[in-house]
Amino acid sequence: MTPFRDDPGAEMRELFFETSQELLQSLNDDALKLERSPQDGEVVRSIRRTMHTLKGDAAACGFKELSELAHKLEDALAEGSAADAGALVQLSLSAADIFSAMLVAYRKRTTLPDTTAIKQMVSKLASGPRATRSKRKATTSKNSGVMWTEGERKSAGAAKADGKSIFHVVAYLDQLCAMPIAARQMVASQLASIAQVIAARPDEQSATHAKKFDFLIATSAAESTVNSNCVIPTVISHAECFPHGVEAAASADIARGGAKFPVPTEKSGVAPETAGPTSVAENILRVGTERIDNVLNLVGELIIAKSMMQQSMQEFTRRYPKDPLRARFSDAMAFQSRVLNDLQRSVMKIRMVPVEQLFRRFPRIVHDTAKSCAKQVKIIIRGQDTDVDKSLLDAIAEPLTHIVRNAISHGIENPRERELAGKDPTGTVQLDAYHQANQLIVEIKDDGKGIDPVKLKAKAVKENVISAADAERMSTEEAFDLIYRPGFSTAEQITEISGRGVGLDVVRNVLMRMKGTIEIDTTPGQGTTFRLKLPLTLAIIQALMFRIEHRLYAIPLNAVAEIARAQESDLHRVDTTEVLQLRNRVLPLVRVGQRRNSELEPRRDKIFILVLNLGERKLGLVVDALEGEEELVIKALDDHTVSTDLVSSASILGDGRVVLIMNLAAVIERFTRSGTDVSNSGSLPRATDGAAPEVRQ
Amino acid sequence: MEQFSPIKRSKDGQAVRYLIVDDSVFARKNLARIIESFGGEIAGEAGDGMTAITEYERCKPDIALMDITMPQMEGIEAAEKIVQQNPDARIVMVSSVGYQENIVAALQRGARHFVQKPVKPEVLYEVIKYVLGEDGVVAATAGAGA
Repeated sequence: MTPFRDDPGAEMRELFFETSQELLQSLNDDALKLERSPQDGEVVRSIRRTMHTLKGDAAACGFKELSELAHKLEDALAEGSAADAGALVQLSLSAADIFSAMLVAYRKRTTLPDTTAIKQMVSKLASGPRATRSKRKATTSKNSGVMWTEGERKSAGAAKADGKSIFHVVAYLDQLCAMPIAARQMVASQLASIAQVIAARPDEQSATHAKKFDFLIATSAAESTVNSNCVIPTVISHAECFPHGVEAAASADIARGGAKFPVPTEKSGVAPETAGPTSVAENILRVGTERIDNVLNLVGELIIAKSMMQQSMQEFTRRYPKDPLRARFSDAMAFQSRVLNDLQRSVMKIRMVPVEQLFRRFPRIVHDTAKSCAKQVKIIIRGQDTDVDKSLLDAIAEPLTHIVRNAISHGIENPRERELAGKDPTGTVQLDAYHQANQLIVEIKDDGKGIDPVKLKAKAVKENVISAADAERMSTEEAFDLIYRPGFSTAEQITEISGRGVGLDVVRNVLMRMKGTIEIDTTPGQGTTFRLKLPLTLAIIQALMFRIEHRLYAIPLNAVAEIARAQESDLHRVDTTEVLQLRNRVLPLVRVGQRRNSELEPRRDKIFILVLNLGERKLGLVVDALEGEEELVIKALDDHTVSTDLVSSASILGDGRVVLIMNLAAVIERFTRSGTDVSNSGSLPRATDGAAPEVRQ
Repeated sequence: MEQFSPIKRSKDGQAVRYLIVDDSVFARKNLARIIESFGGEIAGEAGDGMTAITEYERCKPDIALMDITMPQMEGIEAAEKIVQQNPDARIVMVSSVGYQENIVAALQRGARHFVQKPVKPEVLYEVIKYVLGEDGVVAATAGAGA
């Protein structure tokens, strides 16, 4: 049954798997669009085109079952055009699911999913009138070959109504002619003298390598006149002219083109040798991420090299302050660093993809979730053009899905409740993405009932997460923190949708791993906003370097809200926590060093406090000395090098020193949980100057 | 050089008259030789766009062969001006592949055809026949004797 025969097809199949994802996405999108505007015939046509492309591509790859199913659906859609739009929506959505399952099965070479259910749906739809069948044939063949847009087809229809004949003219470039663009212009001018040119393929810009030109014209001239007008010695060797609607040659092209190369929508009909719309695809290069990562890594090395140069330069300046060579060096270095910055930015840009790639899944998720919760929800998507690192995008897909599902199942009330509360019975979930400073912000906003801290505490007490006494003392902010506790849910009952074992604790963990944070903004009765903040890229960070007990560490600069200077005598102790009175606020402190042994080490009076922003909380990190800001190229540390989650990665400075980058979230979690002044429970691993980090078991 | 059957004007059977516009003397010479092999007559020559316009008005040729890049006025502009004054002017652009966009522009402004540099006589011959259309006739017998 498995149609894998030869290896050369493997690459093509990969391409098919990739492109078909896009087709399925548009299938989903169209189905939802149809649900909103059931009268829109163009959407149905679009769905049918998708099916048609899937059918052709799948057949070219030897995926017979998928191709057949797509074919059945394509037929059903043509016949069922008059049918109930709701049924079509259902059919399309189920089709998208089953296709997706089939693709997985093909890929993993497992058993194909059962298609009886969808076939039944098809046959139900197909019981419509048979008379439309012959008509459909014409439509599909019109859709094949060169694709004319809806607008173009409309103009053709209008011209036809005026009594003109519509022809599809194919003009073939003469071998003698090396200037296809000029040739295209000549045919176009020739045609324009006897006809109205409605559309032309390829357009002028992409005709550089074209071997044939397609025109859609409306004319009162005869077919033979059109034909002879197109033939231009040394430019156009011959031309073909078909009354629009029956393009025999074009469907022959499909067989040729389709079998060789499964090009996605609207392109399948173009023979491979034409530059036409395919040339658009030629400008896109598919590159594996590891190759880009490799380049990025090298850029990172260059940045290290740059800072090596800079340090040597400083040394040089110190020794030979008057040397005229100095100015030339510094010019060269300024130039180098500018180019390096550009290089870094360009490479990063390669990895960036618009967040839309992620967002566009959500209409379907919202649709399904709302349906299963019997709620009415609409989704608003904004900021989909925001660029974000691909790896980041992949990482937040799961958390985002979870939050959106949560928002629908817990946040948004059912229609009746909403009406009673004087709200629109249809709830709204809004996704937004934007850049702020060096961060990507993703907001998930709902207009549901919000989170009630009182209920939250009550629930936590009931589930023995906290004691009643704790609950009394808890601030509202701390109460919101409860929702991140493992296994905690405020829903009355665990639903299938949001009770999948992935809690907000997991969401937060994922974000922590990506050096991001999550914030909640909620107003009871009005809704909740989850705000995910993530660094734009994970490869290079602006870092603040400091020393604790003569060891060098760094933290991302954007986590630092402010740096305060203090004396040891300014610190006070409240319970087990050290605090600092900073202006009119009491700041809890975290000390990550070993317990200070006053006998061995002279007490240092001057210290620095880094005020850190961690989501809702503010904390002060006590450090001995500041070392400066630097752009650090992050080198991942594997588990064999450092067996702790307290440092997330390391970097190499220009002078060869190794600096460890603290995993702030983990550090703070560890050091606040067990009291501030910890001695034995945890201490940071150290990077010995100039050497590899010490391994700490 | 290969000989072609002469192309004559169908109205009077006279030689077809050409205006050759190119800033390179060598290119003009070369074109002139090719045209003479078609039995054509060089009615005028010009080395820039400005001269081309005045020369066109003076000699009123049947066909003008026009280079694209020239001093003073480029071929496109000259072609456009000539066509404005003489809607029936038959202008054939002569240029290398690199100037394809300019050819397109010239075609949009009224040039009738184009040939690629270096000009191949057999290509130009076909182009001339096509551009003349019914106004040109191939003298079948005369060619053999020449």
